[in-house]
Amino acid sequence: MSGMKRRQLWGGIAVQAAALALGLVIIFPIVYGILGAFKSPAEFSAYPPTFWPESFAYTRNFRDAFARVPFLRFGFNSLVVAFIGTVMRLLFAVLAAFAFAFYDFRCKNALFLAVLATMMLPGDTLLVTNFLTVSRLRLLDSYLGMAITSFVGATQMFMLRQSFLTFPRELKDAGQVDGCGDLRFLATVLLPMSKPVLVTLFVQSFVTLWNAYLWPLLVTNSNHMRTIQVGITMITSFEDTNYHLVLAGVALSLLPSFLLFILLRRNIQRNMTGGALVG
Amino acid sequence: MLKRMLPLLLVAAMALTPGAYAQEPAQPVSLLFWHSMSDEAGVLVDKFVTQFNATIGKDRQISVEAVFQGQYSDATTKLNSILTAEDYAQLPDVMNLDATGKVAYFNSGRAWTLDDALAADPGYDISQILPITLSNWEFSGVRLGMPFAASTTIMFYNKTMLDEAGAMAPETFQDIISLSEKLPEKSAGGLDVLAYSVVPNTPTLANWLGQLGSYVVNNKNGSEAMATGLECLENGALETFLTEWKAMYDAGALTNAAGTTDQFVAGQLAVLTTSSSNVTSLLEKIGGAFELGAGFYPRVNAQASDGATVSGSCVVMFDKQDEARKAAAWELVKYLASPEVQAEFAAATGYVPVNTAAQEMAEYKALVAGTPQYAVAGEQLAITPADMKSVTVGPAKDFYYAIQDNIAMMLDEGLSVAETVEMMADDLQGLLYQYEQANK
Repeated sequence: MSGMKRRQLWGGIAVQAAALALGLVIIFPIVYGILGAFKSPAEFSAYPPTFWPESFAYTRNFRDAFARVPFLRFGFNSLVVAFIGTVMRLLFAVLAAFAFAFYDFRCKNALFLAVLATMMLPGDTLLVTNFLTVSRLRLLDSYLGMAITSFVGATQMFMLRQSFLTFPRELKDAGQVDGCGDLRFLATVLLPMSKPVLVTLFVQSFVTLWNAYLWPLLVTNSNHMRTIQVGITMITSFEDTNYHLVLAGVALSLLPSFLLFILLRRNIQRNMTGGALVG
Repeated sequence: MLKRMLPLLLVAAMALTPGAYAQEPAQPVSLLFWHSMSDEAGVLVDKFVTQFNATIGKDRQISVEAVFQGQYSDATTKLNSILTAEDYAQLPDVMNLDATGKVAYFNSGRAWTLDDALAADPGYDISQILPITLSNWEFSGVRLGMPFAASTTIMFYNKTMLDEAGAMAPETFQDIISLSEKLPEKSAGGLDVLAYSVVPNTPTLANWLGQLGSYVVNNKNGSEAMATGLECLENGALETFLTEWKAMYDAGALTNAAGTTDQFVAGQLAVLTTSSSNVTSLLEKIGGAFELGAGFYPRVNAQASDGATVSGSCVVMFDKQDEARKAAAWELVKYLASPEVQAEFAAATGYVPVNTAAQEMAEYKALVAGTPQYAVAGEQLAITPADMKSVTVGPAKDFYYAIQDNIAMMLDEGLSVAETVEMMADDLQGLLYQYEQANK
């Protein structure tokens, strides 16, 4: 083995080890949280703290959490809101990104900058105006009311535009000569080839909407319309610590995100800067 | 193609489902009650409302729907959104508020305050409600709401350790000094034993200056209007407190760190001051390792009065411009403050009953007989001066840390009391001034 190859090998090992270490740091709180869901209150206040629960057969936390909060109903609500919101968001993002990537029109750059500028607005500043809009549209306490503000997302538009720009325009022009219209090009060529980025954006957006707390709380008024994150707040206690119950709720709420990730992980783009761009 | 249309169809279907704009029935009244009670307290609130609907509600044709609205601060955010949007139809009839929602409610223009309700129902005996908890929900001289959940800070001590050392439960800072002289150096587990370990912050300073008859900031600790300056300088209260505090530290009785429940449970700390509602969890954690003593919050000196500020939440009513609804809301509020409800609530959660008559109820008596530590908070609240108020300041976080930093610096770097008073005055007044200038 030549010296250079050996250096490459060691370099590769070093990178892998660093990535593994970073991965462990990131996954640790999640693993600790899930393990915590199987601990009794006494185990939780044990000093020094323990990592592994005494027994994974200890399911009282889950039973108590279920007894206090209708997690199935809340989970269904979250599922509907996250699904509608994500699908609509991707639909609008695809159409807008297509226009920004393949059409030439006046003020294109200014309009694109305007889209980007919305990313700078903190969500909290829009809370009251969005509430006012949704209330006037008479959408309070409905799935649409919860999902509508997530229908348009600048992050998704931006990511898709960047991805579409990597397609040679000539491909589209060539198709056009052969009678392939815009929509057909989009549906049969562009989207299938953009599957990795679409799937990544789908997962990222779904998880964000699934985790939303304040907005769904604001626009719903009845108990049966609540989402799963509100359910978790329902089992927290102000005056006391009951992390064991809360972590049982959190573990339950993580399930769909895990499932989605496992099902779609083959399609998730590898070199995506997903972690750095959420929202 | 149909598959691609599916999301659109779904959305269209969703838009057609009716929202929250149900018509109000003319005669029977249905009320909306927003609360922030979670965990066991949340289960109890649902139970109370069901009971109300089945009894008083049935007689008077009132049906109440209790809806959890997230934590207090979330519920306040929701209230603020509705008020800013002037979408008053969305307001509930009765709402559970903590200090974060006080000003929003007062300025809502839709408040139907406790004082309003009492004027409409002169027969109600408000004297049964603990005065200190009532005054906690007063703003600009108006009693806004009915206290519902109340707790206060009390002192817990390791009775076994004190008994072995032949010491009495301390009442004043001076007593803590005497106690520390009697304590062993090491615990059974080989840990250093500390007598008392606290770094004062905004709420604790409000308690100790309150015992000396002083507010921390003006406008009654910011409860009447925005606080613009300190009110503990000229009356010497801050100086008195700091002098006693430094004496405790210099005598080795005080550790300049936030003593934790874990340290206390591990037998490393003799005295712990924390919320009265922690009795159950402390007993659970100690698990019989030692006897848990409970006493009044320690006093600055022999001249200081007993007590500490109240925390918790109240229930307020909104003016939905319908007399029948207002009367119905008042029935619910009276019910929530009734001795029966308050006794059951206290027995299950560890809050102090706000209705003094609750102490006569069998349920509360059984609680106190089984766990005498529970009685302390109620007894302390009964003798706490009614004008002791918690602090409301704009730059809350910076204020909190400035107090901690200044006092920590006095102890760590050996500054004199006079120097510390001057430094704190500069820091804290500066924060208030900056906030005032920025929010003109």
